[in-house]
Amino acid sequence: MIKFDRVFKKYPGEMDALQDISLEILSGELVFVTGPSGAGKSTLLKLISAVEKPTNGSIIFENTNLSELRNKDMPFLRRKFGMIFQDHKLLYDRNCFENVVLPLEINDINPADSARRVRAALNKVGLLNKEKMNPITLSGGEQQRLAIARAIVSRPLILIADEPTGNLDKSYADEIMNIFYSFQQVGVTVIISCHELPQSPIKFKQIHLIKGQISNSDKHVPLLS
Amino acid sequence: MMFIIIGITLCLPSAGYLIVENVRQISTKIQHEAEISIFLKKDISQDQIDFIDSALRSSSEIKKIHFEPKLTAWEKLQSKLKLSTLDIGISENPLPDGFFITLNTLSNTKIKKLTEDLKLISGVDNIVVDGSWIKKLRAIIYMVKIGLFSLGTLLVIVLIVIISNTIRLQTLTYQNEILVSKLIGATNSFIHRPFIYTGLIYGLGGGIITVGTLKSIVFTFNNMAEKYEYILGNSITLVGLSAVNYTIIVLLAMTIGLFSSFFAARQSIKKLEKSY
Ligand SMILES: Nc1ncnc2c1ncn2[C@@H]1O[C@H](COP(=O)(O)OP(=O)(O)O)[C@@H](O)[C@H]1O
Ligand SMILES: [Mg+2]
Repeated sequence: MIKFDRVFKKYPGEMDALQDISLEILSGELVFVTGPSGAGKSTLLKLISAVEKPTNGSIIFENTNLSELRNKDMPFLRRKFGMIFQDHKLLYDRNCFENVVLPLEINDINPADSARRVRAALNKVGLLNKEKMNPITLSGGEQQRLAIARAIVSRPLILIADEPTGNLDKSYADEIMNIFYSFQQVGVTVIISCHELPQSPIKFKQIHLIKGQISNSDKHVPLLS
Repeated sequence: MMFIIIGITLCLPSAGYLIVENVRQISTKIQHEAEISIFLKKDISQDQIDFIDSALRSSSEIKKIHFEPKLTAWEKLQSKLKLSTLDIGISENPLPDGFFITLNTLSNTKIKKLTEDLKLISGVDNIVVDGSWIKKLRAIIYMVKIGLFSLGTLLVIVLIVIISNTIRLQTLTYQNEILVSKLIGATNSFIHRPFIYTGLIYGLGGGIITVGTLKSIVFTFNNMAEKYEYILGNSITLVGLSAVNYTIIVLLAMTIGLFSSFFAARQSIKKLEKSY
């Protein structure tokens, strides 16, 4: 589904954030991208979701070479991903409902269907009773769940979450992870970055990064555990 | 606020246009005719005068013919200047006989052709085309129109700058919304849409204010003119612009709003994305 071939990423004026990354993610997999802070986890996720372009190498997503993608096709590619950003990127001048409905507005879904789908997504993450509240009034865990609701409401093929449990208590973190597991079990490809490998009840693939390089023993074929 | 800025700005040139249109319409109502004076040679015979008279009568461009013998002209002049022949020591009449004709055309080419034909007739000494004041007025109206057009263009540029700036500030207010929408797959047109609507609404509101202001200017002026009719002797009425013109003003305002907001939003959003 996603294939990296000798990918390099260098931000202007910085060292290589990613070096010589080759990997493959299959449809329906659960993937953990692990590594210490600054290892390049966020960068890897941004490359997958075409938020950033590689400096070198090729990234193929479902037969499309992302470097060759035209700018005007980019939005339509992005819609296939449900993204949960490290800083949530919630909109604090809208209430919870309005935050979650945004991807549906972008997809031009009619308001009646939208409302139903937003409530289903909020229900899934346990925030249905807070739809009228401003996200700023929510706790960290609730904001994270709201970000998840926004990512799943458009029924993406792939969920990408950047350190979704980063600063959450263990019990909240488990709750969040369970939501992701439930999506993986219905066929969604789930890619999650985190400092340390979480306890997972299901089979997963790990991509461990150190200083921008894959440090699994076999660089080209990440270990399956 | 924006409505008023646009409304008032567009009012200036369009009120000017309204006044010019009125003057122009009055100028067309007032006799639109050119006059030509044909002065004859001193030693002309009555036969020749009769011949010229019949020649003039046969021309279709000529509406009115007035012959003034040199004697009448001389007497008229003398009485006007309150002089007697003795006072200036001229005993002989220095004036020629003249035909004074009024044309039913204002076309330069026709007048030119006519004068050239007239010059060929023997006995004709000199032809003076009366530089009709109507023509001058028209030239002035034309120049004023050009002036108004330049003023209008300048003000439109000012409006574009003001609207663009407002829209740019709005994109900054919605910076997060724009960036997040882009990240989750919004197309440029989706992101531009609300700003373009805002620009269109600005234009619509401003245009309506312009039209409203113009209409009230006309109304107030006519009311006043009616009140002071006894002083002015006759009433002057200002005629409003046509519905087509009013529609054009509103559409123009909307177009200005549309384009300035579109380009401002596009520009500003590009910049936002780069800085992100
Ligand atoms: N937008 C950026 N501009 C410049 N440098 C960046 C940018 N994003 C990340 N980096 C650099 O790239 C490296 C990897 O960062 P990141 O992918 O965020 O790591 P992680 O998510 O694992 O903490 C770091 O050295 C970071 O400073
Ligand atoms: Mg990161």
